Amino acid sequence: MAERLKAILPSVLSVLLALAVCWALIAFTMTSGTATDAYLQMLWGGIGNWPSFLDGAAATVLTRPLGESAMKAALLTLTGLSVAVAFKVGLFNIGAQGQMILGALAAAVVGAQLSLPSALHVPAALLGAALAGAAWAGLAALLKLYRGVHEVISTIMLNWVAVSLVDNWLVIGPLRGVAEAGQSITGTAEIQATAVLPRLLGDLSRLNLGFPLALLLALAVWAWLARTRPGFETRAVGLGAEAARAAGVPVARRTGVAMALAGALAGLAGAVLVLGTEGRYPGTLGAPYGFDGIAIALIGNNHPLGATVAALFFGVLRAGGTRMQLLGVHKSFPELIQGLALLFVAGRMVWLAVLRRRQASPGSGPAPAAVTPSTEAPRV
Amino acid sequence: MLAVVGENGAGKSSLMNVLYGLYQPDVGEVSVDGQPVRFKSPRDAIARGIGMVHQHFMLVPTLTVAENVVLGREPTRRGLFDLERAVSEVAATCARFGFQLEPRARVDTLTVGSQQKVEIVKALHRGAQVLVLDEPTAVLTPQESDELAHIMRGLVAQGRTVVLISHKLKEVLGVADRVAVMRRGRVVAEVRAAETTVEQLASLMVGEGHSARAAGLADLHGGIPPGAATARHEPASSGAARPPGEATPTLTAEPGSRPPGETSLAGAVLLEARGLQALGDNGRPALRGVDLTVRAGEIVGIAGVDGNGQRELAEVLTGLRPLTSGEGTLLGGPLAGLTPAQARGRGVGHVPEDRLRRAVVKALTVEENVALGRHTRPPFARGPWIDFSGRRERTQALLSAYDVRPPDPAVPLHALSGGNQQKVVVARELDARPKLLVVVQPTRGLDIGAVAQVHAKLREAREQGAGVLLVSLDLEEVLKLSDRVYVFFEGRVTGHFTRPEYDERELGRRMLGAGTGHG
Repeated sequence: MAERLKAILPSVLSVLLALAVCWALIAFTMTSGTATDAYLQMLWGGIGNWPSFLDGAAATVLTRPLGESAMKAALLTLTGLSVAVAFKVGLFNIGAQGQMILGALAAAVVGAQLSLPSALHVPAALLGAALAGAAWAGLAALLKLYRGVHEVISTIMLNWVAVSLVDNWLVIGPLRGVAEAGQSITGTAEIQATAVLPRLLGDLSRLNLGFPLALLLALAVWAWLARTRPGFETRAVGLGAEAARAAGVPVARRTGVAMALAGALAGLAGAVLVLGTEGRYPGTLGAPYGFDGIAIALIGNNHPLGATVAALFFGVLRAGGTRMQLLGVHKSFPELIQGLALLFVAGRMVWLAVLRRRQASPGSGPAPAAVTPSTEAPRV
Repeated sequence: MLAVVGENGAGKSSLMNVLYGLYQPDVGEVSVDGQPVRFKSPRDAIARGIGMVHQHFMLVPTLTVAENVVLGREPTRRGLFDLERAVSEVAATCARFGFQLEPRARVDTLTVGSQQKVEIVKALHRGAQVLVLDEPTAVLTPQESDELAHIMRGLVAQGRTVVLISHKLKEVLGVADRVAVMRRGRVVAEVRAAETTVEQLASLMVGEGHSARAAGLADLHGGIPPGAATARHEPASSGAARPPGEATPTLTAEPGSRPPGETSLAGAVLLEARGLQALGDNGRPALRGVDLTVRAGEIVGIAGVDGNGQRELAEVLTGLRPLTSGEGTLLGGPLAGLTPAQARGRGVGHVPEDRLRRAVVKALTVEENVALGRHTRPPFARGPWIDFSGRRERTQALLSAYDVRPPDPAVPLHALSGGNQQKVVVARELDARPKLLVVVQPTRGLDIGAVAQVHAKLREAREQGAGVLLVSLDLEEVLKLSDRVYVFFEGRVTGHFTRPEYDERELGRRMLGAGTGHG
């Protein structure tokens, strides 16, 4: 248990440090009172305005913000999981953004072009998105396994290919939605009502099925990695591919499957965005959720549940951040906090590596388990 | 010219690194021209006229010869790099010491021998009076080596000092004036090259009481025993054309013809291989037609100097390296196309040479490593799920049976010492009750107690009817444990001995390629 704490602590400290730095930045450029107020606004905007609710305001002052946070968190959870799963098999998936674009497009096409009852239409659209994302990531895996192309290079390139293919051609060309009633629309045709992810709280908030789905997937990915034979093999490949091969593990298959799973998760993030919030593939995805996933995974220690916690936290910050504008504070501060936290977490890795080298050189003493995200394995 | 010789790990390179300022001496001092000096870095050493040519070249491949030579002290004109002056300076240095190098040639277009010349010119260009060369001929062809010897003599004639680190004794005697012999971190002798022989140097290198190994070393590093001369210089192709039975006369012996003794335990044939060929990591043939047999209930040793195909044989038998030719039967299935999973499935256990790369994943826990390779079977799995309690129980039992410390299944493997990690590997492989156990260098780096324990466990496996193929560079270990020994040289079996007819002297010759004449 103490070891588990030791693994979590640096991430928590990094986030706190990032919060402190941003508070200081606001306080320095404005006043310290504004900084504190802005943080409070961000909090109420993320978890609901509890003070006014207790003063007797309607329940929507809680459910609306919470719903927005949950929807942001769902997307961040899925892309964070995507990056974390790839990490477990030893690959750095920079391509969650591209995989998400393909998934979103697939969901939009299936949602708009097929006519199915709701009980089938939503799963069909989700499946289509997962397959599209998996195929896109699978390209990188094939290039890696058969041509030795480093996955960082190929996934970055595939991101650009996805943007060019989808945003710059398909969505404004062949798949462009038909203008209705004289209004031109950007993006693809609107999905049918049967493909919309059902809202969970009706009119109280925009919270939809995507959020529980993301949490369920996080749990499933964790159980797969920590508790099943294929999950164990995946981790063994990530930490020592040659030893895994000697032990009879099918290294290529494990690598391919993990990368496809990573792509499927990112693709599902695209589906949740399209089927839950946008209703079509918009002109562009709007936000770099796929790149955010890298930060979420690293801050979450590349652990499926850690990434989920990080996604929930930053979902709250991102949803609440817009409220900072009420005080004249720019809404990009939540992203700055996230970026700084990532920087500090990455710095921690460097710091730990230096520390371990120093411990190793005197020799004998049993090194306390210094765990970096890439070597940490979920244990039960 | 001084040559420093010694076996691997005798301390030659460490000594030179102290001279060059890469290491600081804990005790003692270095003097240059009679003055004690203390080098904090190679920069200090260069300033005092010491130059070093490393075994692995320190050149920038995409720069030209001239650019590489002046790197770090480039001539400039008005603050900019003056390429023309660099070229003319380097050309002058080359001419002065008689090197034929084109200063404008890109380094990556040069041969290895020429690249080495660039390294030497680099040191001379910086005013080196003392030139240290670390294993300079390891990467050179014989012709290039001869040229290098010529260059070194030329430098000595011009009044420079050359320190040559090598373990090729014959070559050293041909070129050096004095020879310092190192053993276990000490200079044990210093002799004049003209007054010594390869044999004498070899016995100095290995120490007293190792006459057989000294003979082997002498043979290996220079002197060629009369009986081995033909075999050593035989072209590879004619060797391959020989019928296998002639090359390895005792291999085809019938079971009944083996002398009785400790091998009487031997039972069913587990491995029968004919004409195995495989490539090494460098893409050159590493196995060139190996025949061998392993039976249940015997320990079969593979003896040989490092790099003669032993490791590749172990990898072929465990499915890690594909065969290019040859056939065999391993535990009831074909040897060709074997995968690691098939090998394990048929009952092959493997204690590989490179533990951290091949045997364990050090970031996983001890119990996860114990499960690795058997993680799909009880007690480590139940259906598709990991069986945590079964795994914990079995691991705890093994840790106490093998006295692994600390006996904690949940710590990461890297928290264990190397010896304890090796115990975990041996425990895991034997616990799987392999029918054939392939062990490579099982006791390297272990302390005496652990060595005895591993040896006892290997014998125990034999008593219980397993076949053990033991590859070790430690001839003593091979002879102590094995019922039969195959000797490997350049990817072929050059000798086959059955206990008790071990003859160390003859074994040593076979290890150097004397492959004929023994029945």
